[in-house]
Amino acid sequence: MIHPTSSRPRRIAIALLASIAVIGPLAACSSDDASGGASESGPLEVWTRTDATAAETYDDMFAAFTEETGIEIDHQPVVEFDTQLQARAAQQDLPDLLINDAGSLGEYVSQGFLAPVDRESLAGQEDISDASWDQTLGTDGTTYGVPFSRQANIVIARKDWRETLGLALPTTWQELDDLADAFATGDPDGNGQADTYGMAVPGTAQNGYIARWGVPYIWQAGGELLEQDGEGYTSVVDSPETLEGLEFIRDQFCTPGHVVPGSINYATSDIRSFQEGAAGMYLTGPYNFNSFDDAVGRENVEVIPMPEGPEGTTTFAEGENIYYGSTRERTDDRAALTEFLISAEGQEMGMDSPAAGGDGPFYSVVRLPVNTTLEAGEVYADDRWQVTADAYADASETFPWNINFIPFRQVLADGMNAMMADCESDLPALLEGIDAGFETELANQGLAR
Amino acid sequence: MTSASTPMEAHRVTDAPPRARFRARSVAPWLFLAVPLLFALVFKFVPLAEGVRMSFFRVQPLLGDEFVGFANYTRVLGDPRFQDAFSHTLLLGFGTTVGAMVVGFFFALLFEGSSRLLRAARTAVFLPVVTAVAVIGEIWRLLYIPSEVGFLNSILGALGIPAQPFLSDPGTALLWVGVVGIWTTAPYNMVIVLAGLAGIDRSLYEAAAVDGARLRHRIMSVVLPGLRASISVILTLAAIRSLRLFTEVFVLTGGGPAGSTEVWMTRTYSIGFASNDLGVASAASMLLLLATVVLTVVVRRFTSSKGAP
Repeated sequence: MIHPTSSRPRRIAIALLASIAVIGPLAACSSDDASGGASESGPLEVWTRTDATAAETYDDMFAAFTEETGIEIDHQPVVEFDTQLQARAAQQDLPDLLINDAGSLGEYVSQGFLAPVDRESLAGQEDISDASWDQTLGTDGTTYGVPFSRQANIVIARKDWRETLGLALPTTWQELDDLADAFATGDPDGNGQADTYGMAVPGTAQNGYIARWGVPYIWQAGGELLEQDGEGYTSVVDSPETLEGLEFIRDQFCTPGHVVPGSINYATSDIRSFQEGAAGMYLTGPYNFNSFDDAVGRENVEVIPMPEGPEGTTTFAEGENIYYGSTRERTDDRAALTEFLISAEGQEMGMDSPAAGGDGPFYSVVRLPVNTTLEAGEVYADDRWQVTADAYADASETFPWNINFIPFRQVLADGMNAMMADCESDLPALLEGIDAGFETELANQGLAR
Repeated sequence: MTSASTPMEAHRVTDAPPRARFRARSVAPWLFLAVPLLFALVFKFVPLAEGVRMSFFRVQPLLGDEFVGFANYTRVLGDPRFQDAFSHTLLLGFGTTVGAMVVGFFFALLFEGSSRLLRAARTAVFLPVVTAVAVIGEIWRLLYIPSEVGFLNSILGALGIPAQPFLSDPGTALLWVGVVGIWTTAPYNMVIVLAGLAGIDRSLYEAAAVDGARLRHRIMSVVLPGLRASISVILTLAAIRSLRLFTEVFVLTGGGPAGSTEVWMTRTYSIGFASNDLGVASAASMLLLLATVVLTVVVRRFTSSKGAP
């Protein structure tokens, strides 16, 4: 084990080499970081929150843009978007342009991530409705984003099951309730076993899933969450209307068979019951059409316009915006790309409809177009998309986008998850807890009136 | 290895001038250590220091951090969700530790020996330890599916027991998370106990047999005292690990339902990465570090005072 002393210099040399081998790359890394800041020429760095499949749709769009304008795009599909963005912010070097949740606007503005957008200077801006543009205003009245894609949640259901049971499309909460009951007890798949359920529900509080799923019922009952009041907000969640919506949701959870067992812990990625023919309904976004069609057959997947609650049919809307990183200044190139992305041509490419042909991947990164010259139903050649577009246009509401709503969403989701986890839970007390949580968060963010 | 070489090398190099000998000998180990130390510095100590710094700031990477004193700590300590998470963490850590120790001990007694069959059995039992916790979580989530078609429920159904809600019931979810924790860590404890068992002098068993001791007496008077060192190791490791429990909970329940399985780390994660409040998350992490250090010291004190080696 012990070697002659003559080998010691060699050992020392090896140790030194090893140290250099470790330090070398680290030093190289840090010099990279330092030089990454000033990229005012070269390709335009664009981040999208996408996985590999969706990234292909973007790549096709950017390739078309480069061909038209000669401006090169360095497209970075990022899954852990916000974590990565924080890291880049720490280096004082944000991407030129980012496409991400419209709901991130308030938080990004508060962190200084976004450069203002000059709406009037963008060609084609008039093709986007004023209502959509208004959603990109910060609390200070400045435009910080460009609408890119919108969507509304709708009830996706098993048409074959419903027809087998001889039931009509539900138009009220009561009929929705009856349909869930029929799916659970009427053996709609005809296999003679009680193995079907009314609805699939992402019920976990993680990432606010249950709040995004369930908030339409609060709105349909006439409840509201926060009310804007100048630059501030007040909590208006603790109302009899909100309570009524929450009671309806809990009735679903607590009526055996209405909700797939275990849903209280499920995120959207855990939901397989609809695809596997165990659940008959799923309140979710239209981006699932393709995968559901593949799983249970396109002819069996229908979209139900939101059944009416006591006060209406309001559903939950989300979307994505185009944002400009505040540390970069390539105004003209960014404007050129934006103009392409909101043009009818760009939007249609982003919708990536199978009806338009081409070689796919048929993953729509533009769900409902913000460009008013396009009709979703026509581009997709699919009535279900038109139902979705109508739901968005007629009666939809979003979470507030001009503030950092994520902590509020978490408070709401935690409260709702607690309510639905236990059929004996004290709803009024838990609702008071949500209200108190909202007030605390308003104070934390300096938004309280 | 370097320290073992010292006496022999000193003997060999008596001709060299004393100062040169001293220098070369004292530099060489540091050079060897340079690589791991550098790694530790870059990936452990620098982030730790940064974490300490961030815990006193409102973290805004672009606009510049804003010093807030102990405000982040006050927010963590005053947050009822963190208080609940802390008690869940203690409960889960304690339950998992005790459960895994008992099961590990039982396994060790069951699988001690050198026959090929026992060796194969030991390997099979050890598998959970080398499986990624995220994978284990996913598998158990499938086993725990609360409808009649779930794996465990279909077994219970065959025995005439009604379907259990498992992770869906806020009253029992923590228990079922604990079962997964025990299943994962017990085999590791088994190996430590097996090593301890091998160190017990066989003649003690013979003496006990001669004295007419039953199995119960042999375990209490021979095996357990002989395993003191092993148990100390198990407890120390458990003290360090149990408080930072994360992956099982995150994968199995995400902290739900109704926050009933939320532990310190899942709460910290959601504050840090869902709400992007890195200052508060850092403060929570520092408190966790402090609690871990205290717990480890207490466990060491407690187990070593019970008897000298």
